[in-house]
Amino acid sequence: MFISFSWRRVAPYVLFLTVAATTGQASAAGSPGLKIVAANYPLAYFAERLAGARARVVLPVPTGADPAFWQPSAETVGEMQKADLILLNGAGYEKWLPQVSLPRLRLANTSLAFRNAYLRIENAVVHSHGPGGRHAHEGSAFTTWLDFDQAGKQAQAVADAIVRKRPEWKSVVTGNLKPLLDDLAGLDAEMKQTVAADFRRPLLASHPVYQYLARRYGLNLKSVHWEPDEMPPAAEWSALRGLRANHSARWMIWEAQPAREIAAKLKTMGIESVVFDPCANRPEDGDFLTVMKRNMEELKTAYR
Amino acid sequence: MQHDFYLAWRYLRHNKIRSLILAACLAMITALPQALHRLLDEAERWMSARAEATPLLVGAQGSAADLVLNALYFTDAPAFISMGEADRIAATGWADPLPVYARFRVRGLPLVGVTTDYFEFRGLAPAEGVLPALLGDCVLGAEAAERLKLAPGDVLPTTPENVFDLAGVHPLKLKVVGILAKSHVPDDRAVFVDLQTAWVIEGLGHGHETGPGAGRADAAFAPLSGDVSAYTEITPDNLASFHFHGDPADFPISAVIAVPRDVRSAALLRGRYPDSEAKTQIVRPLDVTRSLLQNIFRIGALFDAILLPLGAAALLMVALVFALSLRLRQREIETIHLIGCSPLTVVRLMAAEIALIALGAGTLGLVLVQAVRAGAAEFVRHFVIA
Repeated sequence: MFISFSWRRVAPYVLFLTVAATTGQASAAGSPGLKIVAANYPLAYFAERLAGARARVVLPVPTGADPAFWQPSAETVGEMQKADLILLNGAGYEKWLPQVSLPRLRLANTSLAFRNAYLRIENAVVHSHGPGGRHAHEGSAFTTWLDFDQAGKQAQAVADAIVRKRPEWKSVVTGNLKPLLDDLAGLDAEMKQTVAADFRRPLLASHPVYQYLARRYGLNLKSVHWEPDEMPPAAEWSALRGLRANHSARWMIWEAQPAREIAAKLKTMGIESVVFDPCANRPEDGDFLTVMKRNMEELKTAYR
Repeated sequence: MQHDFYLAWRYLRHNKIRSLILAACLAMITALPQALHRLLDEAERWMSARAEATPLLVGAQGSAADLVLNALYFTDAPAFISMGEADRIAATGWADPLPVYARFRVRGLPLVGVTTDYFEFRGLAPAEGVLPALLGDCVLGAEAAERLKLAPGDVLPTTPENVFDLAGVHPLKLKVVGILAKSHVPDDRAVFVDLQTAWVIEGLGHGHETGPGAGRADAAFAPLSGDVSAYTEITPDNLASFHFHGDPADFPISAVIAVPRDVRSAALLRGRYPDSEAKTQIVRPLDVTRSLLQNIFRIGALFDAILLPLGAAALLMVALVFALSLRLRQREIETIHLIGCSPLTVVRLMAAEIALIALGAGTLGLVLVQAVRAGAAEFVRHFVIA
């Protein structure tokens, strides 16, 4: 009876203290929260892991679309203007950037630290128009995060950008950065170990998006320009035969599972298909880490 | 005494036009210096407020006053610097750079290229529509919208720098997407575009035809037929094809507003621009504005110097008018004597008249000063600041 009476009197105070403590913690954790817009999924993943529930991370690219070739609408740009932080991949990834108005002070180019290591795209198209005369639309390879060392630097840049916006989150973000960098370092080591089995093994890529992967891990890789769901025309098949004359690859790396008829036709040429998803957009299941681990397992089959 | 004032009042009422003119002249003489100083004070307040809200300004070497007037009041830009300057300031980490490119005019109003950070910095928000989102969008200041009679959804073609340059860059059809709320600053009279849109207007960026009816102009490029009304238009069809050649760091801007993190950062940043031989300079707009205002105060002192003898001359004229009026009223004064009034009564009557006129002039002067005080802010905003 005595205990019950005491609880009834004490309970409101306990409740008040609990609420006050929770509010205090939320405040210390850095409320108000941060709205972060990421230009691709790897950056969104890094931001989610670093800031956790404190930030609302938005990837404005629709599901299934390739962020590298996505064009934001005026409404989307309007929403992006309201963000506290806009994470860019850099290396020419955001082709829409010269066509939109965004607050420069809230942009963070995550690959700026290694801009001198950008890979230039060869065979840029040369054309002529306007007062500038003949010129080429040159650019850089942009799937920078497939070099997991570079991905680590991008994660670091994301952490720095978040801390710049919310200095009070520094200890939390730094604490979350360490395991993220460890995970990326683990992928880097595993990738090196996989490729070390046979450095010279010739490989084909269905799309020119694996430049940084090839450079970092020493892949003997040549690329065609095919889509997984589009049967390449006869000229492309003949070009592939020509390519194989000097590069006898038995494996082709795809961004996504190729159409059955394409895979079958490749098989008749003695080429097996393996998927290495760059994971530029949010995956249907899992996250960046699980997709990359899956990629690694797939790639291992090409090195057996 | 009461009778003296009654008679004086009746006399002034009988000669109301003359009395009113006298009172108005005296009121003007007393109110003018005060009104002038009130206007100068108001101008100083507004100019200082705009300058105070702009901590540091980086621009081309040359006249600091021209640089401040261009960046704050969008006057003609004396010289340009490159966008790389803004990047260099950002790289120091000491200040947030806000590039401003106030080079062009559209139908007589300044066309200012900024980034969306500028609107937040100046506290400008759209009263109608939205801020520019895509290349080719523009947002109008409140007065600019009134003057151009445009609303969101309308189109505003830019004015070519040289209409005889047929080989030059075609004017760009800007899409009005918003109108800013009135802020009573020079931003009210400006047309704002994104910095990149300003570079397209200059011809540093361009698009490609992507289909019939889409592309660089809605009218054919036909300089041979004398059609100089061809426009560049950015449409959803050709937006993705717009691009820039060259390094944007080399593209021109007229100034960078630098917002330092703290006093130490400001000092460090200012230390970066010590060389008068350099191509760029850093100025504190408040210092430059104060120097400009000192010149205005010199003009104020000059006005005082002119008004003082002018006022004295006017008072002498008023005294002369009184003296002459006394001579004209000689018969009237004699009549007052004849009906038995002493000479002192005549003096008292005259004094009462002067007192009543002075009272009327003082009241009128007070009303004038109050009217100037009430309208000074709007007058200064309209004729001095804008």
